[in-house]
Amino acid sequence: MNTTPSAPPPSGTGDLVVDVRSLTKRFGGFTALDDVSFQLQPDMIHGLLGRNGAGKTTIMQLLTGQDFASHGTVNVFGERPAENAAVLEHVCFIKESQRYPDNFKPKHVFRSAPWFFEHWDADFAARLIDDFRLPVDRRIKKLSRGQLSAVGVIVGLASRAPLTFFDEPYLGLDAVARQIFYDRLLEDYAEHPRTIVLSTHLIDEVSNMLEHVLVIDEGRIILDEDADDLRGSATTVVGSASRVEEFVAGRDIIHREAIGGLASATIGRLTPDERRAATSAGLELSTVSLQQLIVHLTKVSDKEFKEAA
Amino acid sequence: MIDDGRPIFLQIAEQIENDIIQGTYPAESQVPSTNEFAAFHRINPATAGKGVNRLVDEGILYKKRGIGMFVAAGAREHLIAKRSEGFRHEYVQPLVTEAAKLGIGADQLIDMIRKDMKQ
Amino acid sequence: MTTIAETQSVARRGAHPSSTTRIWRVVKLQFTNSWNILVLPVLILGAIFVLNYAIWVIAFRSSDMSENALDGTQYSGSTIFIFAYMLVVAIQAINLTFPFALGYGATRRDYYLGTSLTWLILSAILTLGIAICGQLETWTNGWGLRATFFNAVYFGDDSFAARMFTVFAAFLFFFFVGTASAAVYVRWRANGLIVAGLVLAVLLVGAVALISFTDSWKGVGEWFAVTGGTGVVAWSLVVTAIAAVTGFFILRRATPKS
Repeated sequence: MNTTPSAPPPSGTGDLVVDVRSLTKRFGGFTALDDVSFQLQPDMIHGLLGRNGAGKTTIMQLLTGQDFASHGTVNVFGERPAENAAVLEHVCFIKESQRYPDNFKPKHVFRSAPWFFEHWDADFAARLIDDFRLPVDRRIKKLSRGQLSAVGVIVGLASRAPLTFFDEPYLGLDAVARQIFYDRLLEDYAEHPRTIVLSTHLIDEVSNMLEHVLVIDEGRIILDEDADDLRGSATTVVGSASRVEEFVAGRDIIHREAIGGLASATIGRLTPDERRAATSAGLELSTVSLQQLIVHLTKVSDKEFKEAA
Repeated sequence: MIDDGRPIFLQIAEQIENDIIQGTYPAESQVPSTNEFAAFHRINPATAGKGVNRLVDEGILYKKRGIGMFVAAGAREHLIAKRSEGFRHEYVQPLVTEAAKLGIGADQLIDMIRKDMKQ
Repeated sequence: MTTIAETQSVARRGAHPSSTTRIWRVVKLQFTNSWNILVLPVLILGAIFVLNYAIWVIAFRSSDMSENALDGTQYSGSTIFIFAYMLVVAIQAINLTFPFALGYGATRRDYYLGTSLTWLILSAILTLGIAICGQLETWTNGWGLRATFFNAVYFGDDSFAARMFTVFAAFLFFFFVGTASAAVYVRWRANGLIVAGLVLAVLLVGAVALISFTDSWKGVGEWFAVTGGTGVVAWSLVVTAIAAVTGFFILRRATPKS
């Protein structure tokens, strides 16, 4: 097979599950990924976050060998994933747009999955089918959107693949079913640690589960950080416009809003002394959730993008 | 339970500390496992582990191989001493600042505290 | 954590499914629900047979039990349907299972080889079925009506083996032409099929023009006569092989579309 590396493997590859260097993907004239580099550490739950069309699915398609890079290198478990059975054997990619043979029933999916995933746990799958109340004997075509998502979620969890991607896995799943997914994922991950990449726009729901966060916008990685380090990395200061202006002067402002004489500004992390100073200046401080932070970050770069164009 | 503003591992560590101070986990008793904390709070097990390990590093908890995590002897006293140090800085000082702002004098403040402590 | 050390070399850790295992599981995947690829075509063929049978009975009765009433049926094209239908089966199956198998982490190579093996197996099963039915037809003296249905597709008076070879080769031809078309569709969608169709049409018209301009129609006719039925069928295997290889290289760079 054509896995002979043309260059020596990058240093430290052995520790990494995913190592992406200068990855670019173009579709005709459209650049979906622009010189992207990042690494994924083993046995972590990663969040791959960003707006629709930011390039999340493209990244995952390149990592799972479903698409081919225009430039740059992709290494998964130290090797190129495209057409590499030794790598793909350990990878499971559950995507919202996954197509199933339309004469299949869920039972056919669960019957054939174990042939492809060596760590498949049939008991676990059976339990999940119960949890999601999935009718296994109904044609895939006749399933509701939520039930179809449940099929993917069950395959993704029960496959226990060392590298599992969930791309917006729960379209149409209600809040209860999503909570089941999160609970089962955490339980099973605790017992069988593996590398998981969760791509979603329901950031608030998953943020406590993530250990590492990658944010992609307009085909570029704009944030690559430990999830716990991001907590409290931004603060919103609210108060009279003049006092807010005075307080945030000289700082990097992530986001700014104003109504009449009232203003709010989102800025970086504050030290305890700075917090006290703000409070005694009559300003209110509030924390910024990961979702709010990402909304602010991606909006900003949107503006910059437009200004640059 | 988990708030957005601060690292989760710190919040987990603080909650265990609170439970030790309040006597929920007496000395030499076993505390829940990392995975139990993770499932209960719906957080990443690695993050829960980081919180627990912080307390192990401080000598508040200790590991028994293959059994689990236990509260060290004297952990409660140690925590109370540590918290008391911060108490003045974190609670008394803001109280005094606010009182001064409202023109509440020292005697009046002490009176208020005495009343509240009786309740 | 001990698991970190295990994950490091995960791509090359332990025993891996051999190439044969990986190809075979694609075959199993294709047969997981055999309704579209086997049951439905056989049912349709059965329905056509029953319909024909009803017509024969009417024809037989209305011609006063005439001995030659059903003579023409050996030229009936009813069974041609099942061959051409395999083209549809191949296109449909690949369009549906390609993105699915890739979602399971199958490589395009293993998927293609497994699917090709599926066509070989299906061709063998169907050939066997037609052979058995053809023999039954002979033994029952044309289902008691001297009718010809399953034997109608066999040209001339070739030997049983030669006739089976024809049937088998015909199945393969349609399966792999279907596979190549499916590969074009999966990779370039409808635009690809249009371009491929145009290219084939141009080649065909070019060939016809070439033969006409060089006055070679007589030669072509002679070639068919000399080569004979079985010989022509054997040559179709070359076309089948070209379709199979072309399909492989087209699908090798295809990406699942949503």
